[in-house]
Amino acid sequence: MPTSPVNTRIPLTSFGHLITEVKKQLFGIKAPTSVELTGLRKYFNSYTLQGRRNCVLATYGVFAAAAAAYFMRRQNKKEPQTSSST
Amino acid sequence: MVLSFFDQFMSPSYLGIPLMALALILPWTLYPKPTSQWISNRVLTLQGWFINRFTQQLMLPLGRKGHKWALLLTSLMVFLITLNMLGLLPYTFTPTTQLSLNMGFAVPLWLATVLIGMRNQPTIALGHLLPEGTPTPLIPVLIIIETISLFIRPIALGVRLTANLTAGHLLIQLIATAAFVLAPLMPTVALLTATLLLLLTLLEVAVAMIQAYVFVLLLSLYLQENV
Repeated sequence: MPTSPVNTRIPLTSFGHLITEVKKQLFGIKAPTSVELTGLRKYFNSYTLQGRRNCVLATYGVFAAAAAAYFMRRQNKKEPQTSSST
Repeated sequence: MVLSFFDQFMSPSYLGIPLMALALILPWTLYPKPTSQWISNRVLTLQGWFINRFTQQLMLPLGRKGHKWALLLTSLMVFLITLNMLGLLPYTFTPTTQLSLNMGFAVPLWLATVLIGMRNQPTIALGHLLPEGTPTPLIPVLIIIETISLFIRPIALGVRLTANLTAGHLLIQLIATAAFVLAPLMPTVALLTATLLLLLTLLEVAVAMIQAYVFVLLLSLYLQENV
C-alpha cells in the first residue's frame, strides 16, 4: 500500500493551503528566503505572513478607493442634473 | 382542507399561539440532570460518557483558548442531534428544517470566530485570505475568491443542515404515500416500496446524527483558524 508523500497535518479549511503544502513537499518548490525579497516584494509577497497581510489590505484598499470614486462621481452627476431641472 | 407535502414544515401554532418555543424546549426535558450521588444510574453514566468523549474529541485540535468554546459546542451538538432525531418520529415537527433557525445558529457563531480572529491575531486572520506561494498575477483574484468563500461559510452551514433534513423528510413522506397508495393496487410493489422506506428511514437516522456533527465540527474548524 503506497504511503502518502504528504507528511504534515494540512488544514483542510482552505484549498489554497493544501495546494501550497503539496507544492512544497512533492515538487520541492520552496519559498524564497527573506534576504532574496527586496524592494516592493519585501512588503508585498505571498510567502511571509506580513507580505500576505499587506497584499490583502492593499487589494481591499484599491476596491474601497474605486467604490468611493464611483459613488462620488455618481453624486456629482446627480447634482448638476437636479440643479439644471430647477 | 387539502394537505400538501410541505405542511409538515409549517411552523406549528395552536389557537394563534406559536408552538416553536415548546418544540425547542423539549430536548431539555429529555436529559436527566447529574445528581450529587456518588454513582449515577445507567442513563446518567452513558450521557456523561458520551458528552465527555465528544468534548475531548472536539477540543483535541484546539488550543487552551479554544477550550472556552467546549460548553457551547457540546451543548449545540446535543441540541441539534436531539432535534433531528425527534423529528424522525411520525407527526412531529423538526425545528431544524427551518432555515431561520439554522441561520440563527450559523451566522452569529461564524461571525464570533471571525471577530475573535480579527481582534486577537489580525495579521494571521488577514494572512489566511491569501494562500502561501500564490503567483503574483493571481494574488488579487485569489484574495477575492477567499473573501467570497469566507462569507459563504455561514450560508453553507445553515443551508446544509436545512436542505439535508428537509430533503430527507420529504422523501420519507413521498415514499410512504407511494407505498400506501400502491398497497390495494399492487401489493408486491407496495412491499418493495415499504422496504425502501425502511432503508431510507435508517439512512435518515444516520443523516440526522451526521449533519449535527458536521455543523459543530465545521464551527470548531473555523475557530481553530482564528483562535
